[in-house]
Amino acid sequence: MKKKKMLLSAETMDVSFVRKVEALSGTSVRRCFQCGKCSAGCPMATFMEHPPNRVVRLLQLGQWRRILEGRSIWYCASCETCSTRCPNKVHLASIMDALRKLSWDAEGPSKESYVQLANKLFLQNIRTYGRQYEMRLAAVFNVKSGQFLKDLMLGPKLITKGKLKVFHQKNKNMTEIEKIFSRIERMRENGEAL
Amino acid sequence: MTPKNILKYAYYPGCSLHASAGEYDLSTRELFKKLNIGLTEVPDWFCCGATPAHNVDELLSLSLCAKNLELAEQVDGDLAVACAACFSRLKTTQHVLGESDVKRKQVEKAIDAPVPLNGNVKHLLDILARDLGLERLEQAVTKPLAGLKVACYYGCLLTRPNDVPNLDCVEAPTIMEDVLKAVGAETVAWSHRLECCGANFTLSRPGVVVQLSHAILDSAKSAGADCIMVACPLCHGNLDIRQKEIEGVYSTQYAMPVFYITQLVGLAAGLGADKLGLDALIVNPMPLLKQKQLL
Repeated sequence: MKKKKMLLSAETMDVSFVRKVEALSGTSVRRCFQCGKCSAGCPMATFMEHPPNRVVRLLQLGQWRRILEGRSIWYCASCETCSTRCPNKVHLASIMDALRKLSWDAEGPSKESYVQLANKLFLQNIRTYGRQYEMRLAAVFNVKSGQFLKDLMLGPKLITKGKLKVFHQKNKNMTEIEKIFSRIERMRENGEAL
Repeated sequence: MTPKNILKYAYYPGCSLHASAGEYDLSTRELFKKLNIGLTEVPDWFCCGATPAHNVDELLSLSLCAKNLELAEQVDGDLAVACAACFSRLKTTQHVLGESDVKRKQVEKAIDAPVPLNGNVKHLLDILARDLGLERLEQAVTKPLAGLKVACYYGCLLTRPNDVPNLDCVEAPTIMEDVLKAVGAETVAWSHRLECCGANFTLSRPGVVVQLSHAILDSAKSAGADCIMVACPLCHGNLDIRQKEIEGVYSTQYAMPVFYITQLVGLAAGLGADKLGLDALIVNPMPLLKQKQLL
């Protein structure tokens, strides 16, 4: 990626977004002193354009747009290694969650559409079935992402081993789960929750 | 002496155990029956939301888990969880809601009920190693796993982050090794037991999973392990189901069976292959088990 020159001024350092990230994640980005331990232990750092410590540095400088434009946050595996090892108790995994939530809400200009699609289908499945319907999740993902043949070789083996259930048992109490989803939507509409 | 308390639990299997990890569910139920530990499935449990929910919608993730904690209250006993990811989400929910009144109130509004924060959520490992105890586990062994060299794979969410799962030390846990030694197996020292396998990227970015899981298989093999043991259906999927694909990409051969913890402990407790779902494993474990005279 071509490096853009970073200009810091009162206009470019937008901290109101950063405050939102801090509120959502319950952690302070100002505590980070850039030791780099999070990135050193991150199994996904090699796939990211901004490794975890740089994500925090960019937040400290109010340069959050650079983070949302990239795919780093969508390549976090939520393995919690960073949060576990941080000597200053910066809960980086929660910061990643908060960044993804804000990017998700804004349908942000992310390059990582596959991970977003997988998340979306997963949540839709919960709302429709109450539990995960793995067969449908994989099939719909392949259709919607245009990779019709992805993992095709795995299918027959998984079905003969009983690992892919073609028929799925819906949860019996579906009205209950629908209520949770709609209550949360209403709370957000009324500004009672982020 | 009064008879020892009979252990009983509410059981939360999680979605995978009803589909791609059916053998984990089967072997758990059979092993616990054998050990006289009661398991009653939580009625009408929901998906915990796993990684996708907390990835983009923390409130939804907390609410789904809180609902499950509430449902679990209907059944006597602590909550027993088999999947490392469900375990992590349920524990994290208790932890987060215990610390933040604001979030707790939001969640209570979303599920329209109070959230029980004091119920114990336990992973199967915890129940085997601590509630039942290593001594009683040792007594239940009828066929010690002598000569079987096992790489115990913890993955990410069993122990992390600090203070939340509270299962064992975050950087140097030994609980899996302790359980396996109690049933007579050998455990190997290896480098990748806490590294991530790529988890749920298996759907969206399988290339990532291939790269990370290859490192894990490679490390276990070079440490001299005969097989790997896991306590999470996602780790299992990545290491077992994708093993052939990984071998193809890296032009190598592992043929490394990947067992669930309940399968190996069950084997030592005298359960047969059919009761442990061994035929559902993709990498065939039979040659190894026959060679070690365990079947």
